Amino acid sequence: MRILAADDDPIILELLSQFLSTVGSHRLTTVGSALEAIELLGEDPDQAFDCFMLDIQMPRMDGIDLARHIRKMGQYQTAPIVMLTAMSEKRYIDNAFAAGATDYVTKPFDLTELKTRIGVVEQLIQTKHVASDARYNTNALLQSYLPVDSVDLHEPIALHDIDNVIACTAMENYVAQLSRSSLFGSTVFGFCLRKSEIHHENLSGAEFKYLIEDVAEVISDTFSGQQFLMTYGGNGTFLCITESGWRPDLLKLTDQLNLHLNRAQIMSNSGDELHPRVSSGAAIRLVWKSGDQLLDALSKAQGTAEHAAAEHERLKTDFFHIGKSA
Amino acid sequence: MSALADQLPGLDRIRCRFVELLEDRKTLIAQHALAAWDAQTADQINGHLEEARSLLHQIAGTAGTVGYPELGIIAQSCEAKIIDHLEGSYADLAVCPDEIIWRIDRFVEACGTLSTEE
Repeated sequence: MRILAADDDPIILELLSQFLSTVGSHRLTTVGSALEAIELLGEDPDQAFDCFMLDIQMPRMDGIDLARHIRKMGQYQTAPIVMLTAMSEKRYIDNAFAAGATDYVTKPFDLTELKTRIGVVEQLIQTKHVASDARYNTNALLQSYLPVDSVDLHEPIALHDIDNVIACTAMENYVAQLSRSSLFGSTVFGFCLRKSEIHHENLSGAEFKYLIEDVAEVISDTFSGQQFLMTYGGNGTFLCITESGWRPDLLKLTDQLNLHLNRAQIMSNSGDELHPRVSSGAAIRLVWKSGDQLLDALSKAQGTAEHAAAEHERLKTDFFHIGKSA
Repeated sequence: MSALADQLPGLDRIRCRFVELLEDRKTLIAQHALAAWDAQTADQINGHLEEARSLLHQIAGTAGTVGYPELGIIAQSCEAKIIDHLEGSYADLAVCPDEIIWRIDRFVEACGTLSTEE
């Protein structure tokens, strides 16, 4: 991997340099400040990096602003950004992920843990390469018989430039990063786009992606002013984590969201209004959960939202069967 | 420190560099602490404490990885105390809390022991 590390502490840069030389064939470039990193990235746009390791606290410009800057550069919208920092307070973790961080390692870092995280980052990059290679091969073989922009309904889609929306992997890392005390005020819940299979079937890959982006934007705007992070988990489902003890009334919020979606008048490329609507699942508090239980909570939030969306559609047609067995 | 850190080639060299840098950093931290103690205005006090905090932050971030976890914990406790003051309700008063000076004194003492050991 070609890695760019930015840290104002020369000891950290030496440690990283030494460490990365022992765990694989990586090419590390180091800079002592965020401004140097920006200068380097601007100097030679062709010198692409696969991954970034950023300290948060640096003079003049911090690593969070640097992460935001990197994300705005088209070629690095999905590149893994690992924050290496001694700032373990929740507000720094929240801001780092909201700015586009993929993972967060607290200093003093344990080198064994760092090795594991680097391995995960490598896998992410390889998966991305395999996906783009596969698409390239498919294109060559089928010569555009299949839509080149196909999107799998069940796969997460990376959404960019929407406030507080992060990648699915980043969401998992974010939850894993929070300590028990930080989880006290956290609640996770999901919204599922109703009839997502039908939308997926009727729309091209690009149109489906635009639809998901539009819905994410409406959710993000509806939550504006609240502290939250959101991701798209695939299958038409958006997962949200709220902070600071804010536990929304999901029924009211869903009505509000659907009203906003109605006003947004989201259309397909052919000009047909799509009328997207969402259903919400269960709100799950994250306090007292750790490790796999946290990931289970995310999965349960997604599952209950998908179930609610399916139930909503079923009840529209099975109205007279409510409460009756066959 | 993890087993991997023990096996990391070049760690001894980095550790030596850390101790060398620590000598200068320790002096700077002590100077800023004394300057904060003697300063007359809240801005001057907070400015010096901020400088000391920034250096302590770096030490807290690396000491544990290069094999000095206790020093890292002391540096972190100094940093936390300074942050408490800078973000607390007395930050706009021209007062440098004794507690910060006492903790930095402990930190400087711990650095001395470390340098002697090396």
